[in-house]
Amino acid sequence: MGVWDHVIAGILAVFQSDPVLGVPITLLMVLAGFLLGITVGATPGLAGPMAMAISLPILISIFGYSNDALLPVLGFLIGIMKGATVGGAVPAILFNTPGTPDAYMTTLDGYPMAQKGQARHALRVAHFSSASGDTFSDIVLVVCAPFLAIIVESYLDLPEKTALLILSLAFIASVIGSSVGKGLISMGLGLLAAMIATGEDFYPRLTMGQQALAEGIPVAAAILGVLILGEVFKALEDINRGDSSTAAPIQAQSGASRLSLRQLLPYVGRSAVIGTCIGALPGVGSTLAATLGYASAKRRYAAEKSDNDPNFGEGAPEGIAATEAANSSVSGANLIPVLSLGIPGNAAAVFLILAMDSIGGFNPGPSVFQLGGGIGDNSMNPEMVMAFGIFTTMFVANALNWTIGGIFMRQVGVLARIPKARLLPIVLLLTLTAIYVQETSMIAIWITLFFGFLGYLMRRIDMSPLPFVIAFILGGNLEATARQAFAATGADPFFLFNSPVALAFMLMSVGVVVYSLRRPAS
Amino acid sequence: MKPRSSADIWLALFFLAFALLLVLVWVPWDTGTGLVEKVRRKLEIGDALGPSVAGTVIAIGALLVLLRPAQANGLIRPNLVWMISLLGLFAVSMILMRYAGPAALTGVEGGYRPLRATAPWSYIGFLLGGTAMIGGLTGLANRRFAPLDFAIGFAAALGIALLYDLPFDDLLLPPNGDV
Repeated sequence: MGVWDHVIAGILAVFQSDPVLGVPITLLMVLAGFLLGITVGATPGLAGPMAMAISLPILISIFGYSNDALLPVLGFLIGIMKGATVGGAVPAILFNTPGTPDAYMTTLDGYPMAQKGQARHALRVAHFSSASGDTFSDIVLVVCAPFLAIIVESYLDLPEKTALLILSLAFIASVIGSSVGKGLISMGLGLLAAMIATGEDFYPRLTMGQQALAEGIPVAAAILGVLILGEVFKALEDINRGDSSTAAPIQAQSGASRLSLRQLLPYVGRSAVIGTCIGALPGVGSTLAATLGYASAKRRYAAEKSDNDPNFGEGAPEGIAATEAANSSVSGANLIPVLSLGIPGNAAAVFLILAMDSIGGFNPGPSVFQLGGGIGDNSMNPEMVMAFGIFTTMFVANALNWTIGGIFMRQVGVLARIPKARLLPIVLLLTLTAIYVQETSMIAIWITLFFGFLGYLMRRIDMSPLPFVIAFILGGNLEATARQAFAATGADPFFLFNSPVALAFMLMSVGVVVYSLRRPAS
Repeated sequence: MKPRSSADIWLALFFLAFALLLVLVWVPWDTGTGLVEKVRRKLEIGDALGPSVAGTVIAIGALLVLLRPAQANGLIRPNLVWMISLLGLFAVSMILMRYAGPAALTGVEGGYRPLRATAPWSYIGFLLGGTAMIGGLTGLANRRFAPLDFAIGFAAALGIALLYDLPFDDLLLPPNGDV
């Protein structure tokens, strides 16, 4: 079976999934996820990963753990991921409140445009740019991920794969957050949490004899605790101390600008390339992509604009276009390391991997794109079929974005008025309930709360929780690969330094930490 | 919160001490095998290596923070007060959630367990604990406990309970899997 057979099988897996009301269930799930994504993106205080986290246990309860569950569940989560990016622009433009952190730069020009009565036009620009960037990024994903995976599988043996995982973790710890040192501490804590009760000996290590820990830390409890509860605790405290800034809402009036969307294309194109490159690197998030896209567009705009045009920051549609194209083009590209290497690059990717892990039957990594699936040349690799099914759901989400995304995003502006102090506690109870129905133990809730406080403390001391989460997810894989590499090389203690590729990865790991140290401490 | 470099120094010292304790005390005391072990005359990586690497990474990070402390935010007394308030609220909510159902059926033959998946008994703990949690958190955030917040909390808890309980027969709401 060739690659095209897998592509066609992947597409058919989406379009021939069990119908509900005559529509394939996977398509319905992508639609539902996309609409939910726009809704949560448009609600300040909520974010795509939160909705993904809360939805996952419900989805698993509905679809179970069979292979048939994978595409509808992932389709729903991908829909949320894409919808939230578009939706984040809505309150940024209408209320000067970014719905998602990466939409902050959108406020700079979006809100001034809204104040001038051009809110509708600003929303149109945001939608067009976001959908364009997203589509471009998905095309790059489809083209690059299989090739990267094939190269990794062909040229990297166990020691090189171990070194590559170390490089990814070093990179994530170095580039996320304000300080390399804190990134490394966060990563070390994540590795430590991953090690609890997961060794090969009969004695569950690092449990201090506690039965509650003997089966390890529940993955969902740790991740949701640090990412969701930690954020909720911090946001509620900000409200308690009056740090929460809200702007007076203004009316969205019909657009008066005559600027054609075509004129925005150079800005959209440049930002889409920037966002895609950033998104392909694990750990570098959409906020940086938006910042770089905006800064790059600002320089170009200053050189080209006429005297009558508004400056950046005063309501220039080019500013919205550059930001939205950059942050949206991260969402496709960040699946390149997920699908080709099994390494999550951001919080949304973490939940996609969590879904794949929970349901089973699909192990993201280089083997996904092996022809024959290791069985025979004529057999179909079910994981590759699934990967092309995932690509198909992404393009379905894009099609929805182009067709109904713009209309829907203009309807959800009202959600920005829901007070965070009322919304976030409900999110918290929903998260705890989601954990309980998975684990059926009050201890899991206490563990989640513990990690929630850890996430809160990390945020308060300017330590990014993302290296913790990614190290927690990759820790088991890293240890298993290292064990196999050590055994395969005949217990060579220098197995990470003997092959040129592994040595290069290790030197790059040290290099990225040292290079990041040169950044001014903030 | 006032940014100050001393906060980073204290942070670095704390994690350095934690890493040393981890590598020198916790790991040797609480793992079944050493850094490497011999299994069937072959050397293999032992259970202590992974946690030791994690501790080393934490120590390196702490040293880097110590060498280059930034003007960073540190924990201040209001943060600790906030955490204690949250802990108190969670303790009350969880006790209500865990024991309200069984308490309501005290004296009834068989007690709560046979009825833990039967409405309305299955909802009692979740609704009371959930209402206290949502209303209390909103009150803490707004510095004012209002009946309306608890009413919203009750409605939200009921909505969440129905969301899980009506479509899925096999799911148990908190705390019904523990009782």
